[in-house]
Amino acid sequence: MTELPVFERTFEMVDLIAYAGATWDWHPLHYDPSYLKSVGLERPVVDGQMFGALLAKQILDGFGPRAFITSMKIRFTAMVFAGDTVRVTGVVTSESGPVASVAQQIHAGERLAVEASAEVRVPASDGT
Amino acid sequence: MGKLLTKEIKSLIGREVTYTAREELGRASIRYYALAVGDLNPLYLNDAFAGANGYPSVIAPPTLICETNQFIGEVRPLTSHGHDWGISIEGCRLIRGGNEYHFERPALPTDRISVRWRIDDITERRAKSGLPMLIVTSVGTYTSHAGDLIASNTETLIYQKVSQ
Repeated sequence: MTELPVFERTFEMVDLIAYAGATWDWHPLHYDPSYLKSVGLERPVVDGQMFGALLAKQILDGFGPRAFITSMKIRFTAMVFAGDTVRVTGVVTSESGPVASVAQQIHAGERLAVEASAEVRVPASDGT
Repeated sequence: MGKLLTKEIKSLIGREVTYTAREELGRASIRYYALAVGDLNPLYLNDAFAGANGYPSVIAPPTLICETNQFIGEVRPLTSHGHDWGISIEGCRLIRGGNEYHFERPALPTDRISVRWRIDDITERRAKSGLPMLIVTSVGTYTSHAGDLIASNTETLIYQKVSQ
């Protein structure tokens, strides 16, 4: 496997609110029109931490339930807003024994929103 | 000293704060998080499936404990959005630079989690626009009530001046 399974996700306002509830993080950046206006933004901002979850999903979907992510490094390069659709892509950059390295990106349209890398402990092929 | 990096701000380096959850993580909060992020991996939802893959029960998605504020005990804490350092700078917008996570083991529904945050460094740089920005690097260390290390999270926050 060299490519991780690509997927897309559209964030509507309700998704941002569900995430805020699930994380107990009610920062007004993610839902409050008057706050957003005060900081010069037109649409609610998707919490950057949501992308960590999408990156982890892609890795475990690709390597299977016995893989364990040992580290992730994530850099945010552009904001993503309510209504945007993001596309999560990733490649395996090296595999040596039980350790694989991956490089991942999240784009919102043409805009690169997230750049990331991770290390994964991969199970032996006999499943033990 | 820079424009934003005052003596007062610089003195925050080394500051520590610890938050401890009031109860065990629990299956319900794991499931709700999995639904909210749209990741229906049965490792998070189905004990039998997780057990068949070597875990004692369902596990939490890797970044869950790093991104949730379940230690909060107030109603709608709109003045404090979970963990922050109380840094507020006139004319600055707070944006996330990045996170670096290290995971020791998955968090389990039975874990009662503590996180210790420490400010490692604060520096000032100039953005492409020429305006100054403050870069705050802090490290969160997550342990269970039994004392074992679960994960660490190095977080970079950027306070970006939006105008002169």
